[in-house]
Amino acid sequence: MRVLVIGRNWKFTLARLAVLAVISFVVFDFFWFVLLPIRVEGISMLPTYQNGSVNFVNRMAYLRHDPKRGDVVGIRLSDPGITRPSLLYLKRIIGLPGETVAFVNGQVQINGQMLDEPYEKYDCDWNLPPVTLGPDQYFVVGDNRSMPAEYHIFGKVEHDHIVGKAVL
Amino acid sequence: MKIVLRVGLLAALVVAGIWLWLVLFPSPEKVIRQRLATVAKRASFAADEGALGRLAGAESLAAYFSTNVEIDLDVPGRIQHTILGRDEITQTAAAARSTVSSLSVKFLDVTLTIGPDKQSAVADFTIEARVGGEPDLIVQEMKFTLRKIDGQWLITHVETIRTLSILNFELPRAPSIV
Repeated sequence: MRVLVIGRNWKFTLARLAVLAVISFVVFDFFWFVLLPIRVEGISMLPTYQNGSVNFVNRMAYLRHDPKRGDVVGIRLSDPGITRPSLLYLKRIIGLPGETVAFVNGQVQINGQMLDEPYEKYDCDWNLPPVTLGPDQYFVVGDNRSMPAEYHIFGKVEHDHIVGKAVL
Repeated sequence: MKIVLRVGLLAALVVAGIWLWLVLFPSPEKVIRQRLATVAKRASFAADEGALGRLAGAESLAAYFSTNVEIDLDVPGRIQHTILGRDEITQTAAAARSTVSSLSVKFLDVTLTIGPDKQSAVADFTIEARVGGEPDLIVQEMKFTLRKIDGQWLITHVETIRTLSILNFELPRAPSIV
């Protein structure tokens, strides 16, 4: 152990410490700026994500392309100036900018066409009139729509509130 | 050597002076952040708190608001209610303390904007609240407007912010818990 930590040659020991410091810095930055670890709380994304499960949000996911339909994304509640938000909503994108979204007897309609949602496993009876998204807006909703609509947090979100894409 | 010692002593004195100045005359931002943390603490209560303690807690919470405060709460599925004035805050806080067993409130990710006159400020943050016995976490984006009144930063207006806009949908109103 003495050889490993302290070393016989102080120059090598210093070099090892420097490498360790650089690795720690890189790992820390990676989790701070790239993969944000999250713990899921609540039931709105059942059955895709269980209450208490652990996941990561990839903050670099939308650097080269815009979010896509079906992506599960982390949405910040706080000011975009907060670099590492304490809390995020985890929701699925069902509507893209410019589209019209409606719920008819629990079925999602995009521009009047039914959306196939294999991830939605529970019965839903929501009826909500069409809403047209702005040029920078997405429509997000949880996978668990078994509760009445007024008890579910969903709706339009601006692009700058989307922190990244869920990894797992 | 003496010069080095004197320069060191002088530097230490300057640092101590700055520290003392900051302690005695804290910036508005620091004062507001401390007050918001205290408000969150006052809004929280434990399950084993006695009736008198709960009433005292409700009254002490109201002291952080201006007499003509307006609180507009609109949390889908939870609460839709407007509270006007300190008395109503005390009543609502006391009612909440008798309705739920315990409450833990945290103000997270606070961003402050101090007015140019340094007499007003706006705080944006996220509330994280845990109600005893309920599995779900309550999360809500909030906006507090504060004003310096008689030397104290008091909350004059509170409003909930809807992170996800559903304004085009006419959702049925959820029953109020207050």
